[in-house]
Amino acid sequence: MSRCKRLTALFLTAALAVGMTGCGNGAKETSGDEVITLRILENDTAKLEGYLDELLNAFNEAYRDKGIQAVDANMDEYSDLAANGPYGYGPDVIYQANDKLMTYAEDHHILPLDIEKLDCYAYTPEEAWEAFKINIDGEVYCCGIPVNIQEPMLFYREDMMPEDWQTQWDENQNGVADFFENWNDLYAYSKILRDTDTSANRDSQYGFMSSFNNLYLNGEFLFSYGAYVFGKNEDGTLNSADIGMSKGEAATGLLGLRQMAALMNEGCIDDTITLNRYEKLADGSYFCAVSTPDTYSLFISKLALKYEESGISAEDAEAKARENLRMTELPSRMPADGDLSKDSAKMSEQDWVETVVMGGVNGYGISSYTEHRDACIEFVNFATSYEMIQKRMDMLGIAPTRSDVAESSGGVTDMIFNSLAAGRIYLMPSIKAVDQIWVPAQTLLGDIAKDPFREAKGETPKYASKQDIEKAIQKVDQDIYNAIYTLK
Amino acid sequence: MNRKTEGSQTSFPVKASMVIMGTGQLLQRQWVKGILYLACFVSYIVYLVVAGAEDMVGFFTLGTVKGNAWLGIEGDDSIMMLLRGLLAFVITVFFIGIHKSNINDVKRCDIKLRQGGTLPTFGKACSIFCDKKFYIIALAVPVTGVLIFNVLPIVFMILIAFTNYGGDIVPPELVDWVGLDNFAKVLALSEIKDTFFKILGWNLIWAFAATLINYFGGLGLALLLNKKCVRGKAFWRAFPILAYAVPGFITLLGFKFMFSYGGPINYYITANGGSAVGFLDIDAGLKAKVIGILVNAWISIPTSMLLATGILSNMNTELYDAASIDGASKWKQFVKITLPFVVFSTTPVLITSFVNNFNNFGIFYFLRGGLYNEGYFLASDTDLLINWLYNLSIDNNYYGIGAAISLIIFVITSAFSLLTYVRSNAYKKEDTYR
Repeated sequence: MSRCKRLTALFLTAALAVGMTGCGNGAKETSGDEVITLRILENDTAKLEGYLDELLNAFNEAYRDKGIQAVDANMDEYSDLAANGPYGYGPDVIYQANDKLMTYAEDHHILPLDIEKLDCYAYTPEEAWEAFKINIDGEVYCCGIPVNIQEPMLFYREDMMPEDWQTQWDENQNGVADFFENWNDLYAYSKILRDTDTSANRDSQYGFMSSFNNLYLNGEFLFSYGAYVFGKNEDGTLNSADIGMSKGEAATGLLGLRQMAALMNEGCIDDTITLNRYEKLADGSYFCAVSTPDTYSLFISKLALKYEESGISAEDAEAKARENLRMTELPSRMPADGDLSKDSAKMSEQDWVETVVMGGVNGYGISSYTEHRDACIEFVNFATSYEMIQKRMDMLGIAPTRSDVAESSGGVTDMIFNSLAAGRIYLMPSIKAVDQIWVPAQTLLGDIAKDPFREAKGETPKYASKQDIEKAIQKVDQDIYNAIYTLK
Repeated sequence: MNRKTEGSQTSFPVKASMVIMGTGQLLQRQWVKGILYLACFVSYIVYLVVAGAEDMVGFFTLGTVKGNAWLGIEGDDSIMMLLRGLLAFVITVFFIGIHKSNINDVKRCDIKLRQGGTLPTFGKACSIFCDKKFYIIALAVPVTGVLIFNVLPIVFMILIAFTNYGGDIVPPELVDWVGLDNFAKVLALSEIKDTFFKILGWNLIWAFAATLINYFGGLGLALLLNKKCVRGKAFWRAFPILAYAVPGFITLLGFKFMFSYGGPINYYITANGGSAVGFLDIDAGLKAKVIGILVNAWISIPTSMLLATGILSNMNTELYDAASIDGASKWKQFVKITLPFVVFSTTPVLITSFVNNFNNFGIFYFLRGGLYNEGYFLASDTDLLINWLYNLSIDNNYYGIGAAISLIIFVITSAFSLLTYVRSNAYKKEDTYR
């Protein structure tokens, strides 16, 4: 009996010892030969497409002799550094959008960096760095390293372009169709497609398509007309009490959104178009749809699947899809009076405003809780080098913030880069309060998008006049203000 | 010598144990017991010196040094301090309990010694304790588990309701005690107050409607499938169980898609020449509420059906034969025999179901999340209190306000549950059907 007890005690002690060795902080562990291990948190697309493996392998190969290695942090891409970092569980390096990273910066969860020492510094425009700057007690700190620009883009199929576009839809003969240059022609072409849809339910031929309840994808209807999210204080810092969604001629822009919604189906009111755009673009129901560059591979795979169904091999189908799918920026000019139905040929220069879309800059931040700050700097320096950014662009289809990579690839990448530099992208504000803008704004955008369908059903429209829209958008400002300040 | 006289003559070992736990037992030559009590005493004193006292002070201050990771200042984590302070008080209460048992023990032994008796050995004392107070040993582990995993988080949440935790006040910022401010905001601040009462009204309607529909839907289905004329009962019973087996949120996302503008319902409506219907959009209002109730019924009726099937199998069928001979109609038989029997057996389940429906987070979060309606503060017209609580506390980080609302929800549901239960036959006539 006593032998049995001794054995049990021994077993329990051993189990406790084994259990205890399992406890402790993974971040602090180093191997016997003092290899520093960095945990890198990348986004899911980079993991899925194999870019993260490429990056880690390249870095580990280059830094083998220096005793630094990088590994996948193996965490959810949106895991909360503020909640995990202080207790030693967060990543050392984190890749995120500027608004998310700067929320961490506000509470000092990511480190300020001496950006001038980084290789990419000279090649990255000031606008991209601005997205990662924070003013604390009069001192400006930069807390992130820009990698790529995100903005809504138009995706379309080359073979769906009208046959006569070069003669009928390229008035200035610059090789770019007018409906990709201004919104009035995009509206006009969309209207033609709708008017000539002869299918039984008139649901097989649409022009421009977007889920209008999404502020990020449809911000141009506000920001092109002088609206802004948060105003600025005298010292240049953002003032979350100054909410400007209704400022400027925002209501005029939203009249255009209402007009455009009438040429879509009710899918523009909710997330329907966001969900079916890949499929519908592939089957030709939508002429063009709005999305972000990081969804390029999803459009390709749907289109390739369609080609495969017609009997060609998977490889040929993908090649054909890549050849046929095009991505371009949203038309650069919007009507100053918000009336998309006006004939563009009769409009003069002052009748237009420049399109300003909502966008963001994704980049790397270094956790304040890392024990290997210098090694982290080495890593981000490596990850933002010309070669790695080039590879990231090739594999993920991103638009880099490095001017040399953008220039060398040309095309759309360069176009996006230039838009950022020219201020045609309204960057998501880099403060915590930005979290409160989405639901009030998307509720209103969806509601305005529903208005033409109310009218079509014989119901009373809610936004029949500009004044109605003005009132509603002012309420959005108030809702955002309430969300930020009422419970403070 | 009676007990009172015995107690009034406090002996030295008792006095010693009052000051230092275990010393009385040691003086009475109860070495193992004395050492164990003394070890407890020393452990508690060491705990107090090392952390306990600081944790108790921290509970009241919630920190004085703000952290700054850039400057390497670790700072105070108010929430951890609150938790550790709470733990320190729990440990202290536990220590007081042990101290009391130590004094009682030494007193008992003192009386026994004075009466000329001998004290049992430690092993013998343990054996007597195990025999006479087995319930303590049996319940110690589950009660400790409940205290740690249920009571402590609830107390923690209650305490959060009295702080300004949330919004901009999240670590490394320091949290403060704000008394009843959060409750005052919920009940007095005009925007919040209006929203609170609107949502509370709808929440009560929802909870009653959902509970009744689910309950009687399940009972009806069980009665239908119990009918002798129904063939292939096992086959038909499998269908509701299939609906029950699919995870709730997958069902909800499926229904969201079905009712969306691009979903199959609108597809068939438009394909037949109708115009698409916004079942769940901003104007949906009553439509969305009805859909929510029906979708909830789809998910919950199988559970009620299984429960009712089990209860109905215990029914005495002779009662129905007797009722038929007496000329009672089928409806009369249902109202007078079936319903009282089923309700009697399921009253506690009915109450649980009401509370679950009252706090049913998933239905409208998945079906109609991401909308704020006019006249509502950060909420839509279909949101229940629990959804609003989520909007405030998780989406908008107002943890203090969220905790205050959850306390109010707790008061409402617990009051309703208690009142209903103590007034029910299941409680008053417990022996009726035995």
